Amino acid sequence: MRNLRAWFLRLVGLFRKERDEQELAEEMRSHLRMHIDDNVRAGMSVEQARRDAQIKLGGIEATKELYRERRGLPLLETFLQDVRFAFRMLRRNPGFTAVAVLTLALGIGANTAIFSVVNAVLLRPLPYKNSARMITIHTKTAMFPQFELASSWPAFQAISGRAGALESAAAFWATERTLTGEGEPEVLSVAGVSSNFFQQLGTTAENGRLLSEGDQKLSLDDVAVISERLWRTRFASDNAIFGRKLILNQQIYTIVGVAARNFRYPDGTDIWVPLSLAPETEQNHTFFRLQVIGTLREGETLERVQAQLGIIAQEFPKIEPRLGKDFKLVAQPLLENTVGDARQNYLVLLGATAFVLLIACANLTSLLLARGWGRHREMALRAALGASAARLRRQCLVECCLLALLGGSFGIGVAALGIHLFRAMAPAGTPRLTEITTDWTLLWFALGSSLVAGLVFGLVPARHASRIAPIQILKEGGAGSVGSFFKVGNALVVLEVALAFVLLAGSTLMVQTLAHLLRQDPGFRVDHVLTFDLPQPALPVAKNEHALVDLQIEKLKEISEGVRRLPGVAEVSAADHGVLDGMRYVHSGLELEDVPSDRALLEQDVLERYVSPNYFRILGIPLVRGREFNERDARNAPKVIIVNESMAHKFWGTLDVLGKHISITMNGKGDGWNEIVGVAANVRDADIQSEAEPEFFQPLSQSGVQSYHLFVRTERDPDALAAAISRQIWAKYPDQPMTHVATLQRTISESVGDQRLHTVLLGTFAALGLSLALLGVYGVISYSVTRRTQEIGVRVALGAGPADVLRMVMRQGLALIATGAGIGLAAALAMTRLISGELYGVKPNDPATLFVAVLLILLVGGMACWTPARRAMRVDPMVALRYE
Amino acid sequence: MAQKKDVWQGTLALMVLKTLDTLGPLHGYGIARRIEQTSGDLLAVNYGTLYPALLKLEQEGYIRSEWGLSDNNRKAKYYKLTRAGKKQLEREARNWEQTTSILARFLAPGEEPS
Repeated sequence: MRNLRAWFLRLVGLFRKERDEQELAEEMRSHLRMHIDDNVRAGMSVEQARRDAQIKLGGIEATKELYRERRGLPLLETFLQDVRFAFRMLRRNPGFTAVAVLTLALGIGANTAIFSVVNAVLLRPLPYKNSARMITIHTKTAMFPQFELASSWPAFQAISGRAGALESAAAFWATERTLTGEGEPEVLSVAGVSSNFFQQLGTTAENGRLLSEGDQKLSLDDVAVISERLWRTRFASDNAIFGRKLILNQQIYTIVGVAARNFRYPDGTDIWVPLSLAPETEQNHTFFRLQVIGTLREGETLERVQAQLGIIAQEFPKIEPRLGKDFKLVAQPLLENTVGDARQNYLVLLGATAFVLLIACANLTSLLLARGWGRHREMALRAALGASAARLRRQCLVECCLLALLGGSFGIGVAALGIHLFRAMAPAGTPRLTEITTDWTLLWFALGSSLVAGLVFGLVPARHASRIAPIQILKEGGAGSVGSFFKVGNALVVLEVALAFVLLAGSTLMVQTLAHLLRQDPGFRVDHVLTFDLPQPALPVAKNEHALVDLQIEKLKEISEGVRRLPGVAEVSAADHGVLDGMRYVHSGLELEDVPSDRALLEQDVLERYVSPNYFRILGIPLVRGREFNERDARNAPKVIIVNESMAHKFWGTLDVLGKHISITMNGKGDGWNEIVGVAANVRDADIQSEAEPEFFQPLSQSGVQSYHLFVRTERDPDALAAAISRQIWAKYPDQPMTHVATLQRTISESVGDQRLHTVLLGTFAALGLSLALLGVYGVISYSVTRRTQEIGVRVALGAGPADVLRMVMRQGLALIATGAGIGLAAALAMTRLISGELYGVKPNDPATLFVAVLLILLVGGMACWTPARRAMRVDPMVALRYE
Repeated sequence: MAQKKDVWQGTLALMVLKTLDTLGPLHGYGIARRIEQTSGDLLAVNYGTLYPALLKLEQEGYIRSEWGLSDNNRKAKYYKLTRAGKKQLEREARNWEQTTSILARFLAPGEEPS
């Protein structure tokens, strides 16, 4: 109670300061007067009496300060006072304030931007119901050990029926289908989903209804749910859309609903249709077709479900022998599956920005320390006037936090800009890219990290400020002892240089990686080629598949001919898929003439590609043996095949393989002998980062392929021809979609998009860290020169030449930088391993790279010391000695 | 350091209360002199520390203050014990006696506790 009352009065005390202050002064005066009266009566002179009274009181101002602390709420009051005072100090030193705020804005901004990305991609749960407990289940086989493959309907049924650790499971396939009918044909991502799919993900309809049990019937007369995006862009958010027909690959669907805004699972899907179990789609029953997601029961673990899957997996190879003995069902958290390899990269970037912020903090500490020594007299005076050590410390921290908050608020701007740039630069396949936004987390993180930064870089200066012995400082006339500053300052410089060195080493490695990648010659001509997909525009299921393919080939020929006649077009060729587009089309289980059927060898996958006759010519791929395909290699002609050098070497150990035969196994049946008629030079058409793999080519006209990828060699800028080409195609075939239009050069450049982004980011952070560290070096050395002016003057007076002085300062600076670089080198050796997964053509501890980084940091560091060293050299001994 | 200060402030408060109880309303200077006289050198150089203690007691409601005239006609702020202050004095004095007697027994050399 008493306490409460006291607090209340103190709170009131805050608001009646004027009066209280007057009263206090009056009371002090009266106290002194009475004391003086007594002293005079005791026989002292008036002067003596006054002096004695003042000494016994212990100083009027100090007493008043003690009293004030008790009167109001000193913490709150002095805090406000400190803030006001700090503002004044910052305004009085605009140069210092600007440097500090800019430094912090960059440090905090970079940190906040990357944290926002990490938060959106790695930390925030996926936007589905119970997403923390959601898993994907994929299959692994010995045949394609490096792939996560899909499952089948029987496997899905076994999983949802018998994996007790799962609450529920849903299945879907995802593919691209062509939407025709109204407007330009469009290729959209379509998913066939089990009836509980939407329920499983906990999403609701934006409009109309979602799919339900009744939709999963044995019929082809299907219903469809469309995405909010498609509804908005193609149907103008028309509420009367229900019941309208959708034509997908010439199959008709009835629209029944619109999915929730932003719901696009899986992978940007625009249309969901029921997973059909009709006999025509028996594909669903074979493996590698259906993807399975499930939700763990509450309290269940991944290990439990994995054990149950292990038991279930054992039976499938008995039913389907080609799955092999090593067939596995593998559960993985959905978030982990979605994010994939990106995790490590983002964490490395977050670490890099933390380094930048640390450097910025170290920098500010040394700046503040140097300035603190300049303000020693002020602090000493304040201490003499009754400011307690705690008070001085607090004021210093308040100043630092204010600086940090100012920096942080600019940092929010920097972060918002950074996020914007990140989204613009991130390659298209980046997981959860659309979820990376500026939101409240960003604000809180920026403010939180500013405060922490303020406390971190304010701690050392605050301790120093409170350790001041007023008498000594005031006596010494302001010079003070600077020994302890140099100890701390030097440590800070070493720390900054070490951190900057790690960043520098990392980014140098990334730059080398990117340079290697960009210099990488794919082995074929990439200039002046425009490429695009011509997906099969929807044909009814035909009885005679070959007839259909022949029809398509005829159409392809007609389209190619039309495009070739356009002015500016030199040549047109086609294949079943593009080059370096991130996809791999592989085949395994080949039968090779004159090759012992060593299963381990034959089960390895080999790249496959179907091409039109002039494919090798248009890409400038030489044939080292035999001939190209030609018009005579038609469906009814003898079947021919071309292999690349790598394949010939791998299986036959020689390039002289013309006339040998290969049989390609499809669904357990061989397709008969194909005669090798040519050997093509190795090119990197699947992955520019690895040596050419074994690959074989077959003529499009002898394949079952129905959708094509066109290569158009042009005489001028290929992009300029894109519009003319699409007009040409749509004039004759208005239903024919044309997608993924790109020049070959752009495709290749995008294939290294991830590395490019990370190189740019890491490089930016390294440049930032390095410049901040150098600013720190410059500040400390420069301050030390100023402080040692007198000493240098003495040295010069005693006969030291300018060169000696220069050498002395440079040696001091370079010793610090070298120490920092040494520590940084050790740290870099340990840490560059973290980016080894991203490196190409260079090892994480590449000695040459690290050597260059050391040289670079010594060189730039030397430059930072040069200016203050020159200043030291010009010290005039006469002026220096009179300096005091 | 902090503990010593707390003990000092507690002691000081008790001395202030006792002084006011014995001498009746008195100004800060008078209280200081009185404490100095009775406690020897305890307050010798630093009368100033008395004022925050007075303020604290006033905020807690144990004493009240008003301006008046001193013996030789100087304007001065007089402090006066309140009823709550009187009770607090009794309570604190009892506590203090208890503490000191315990400590005295504890510190007495060679005597077995009876």
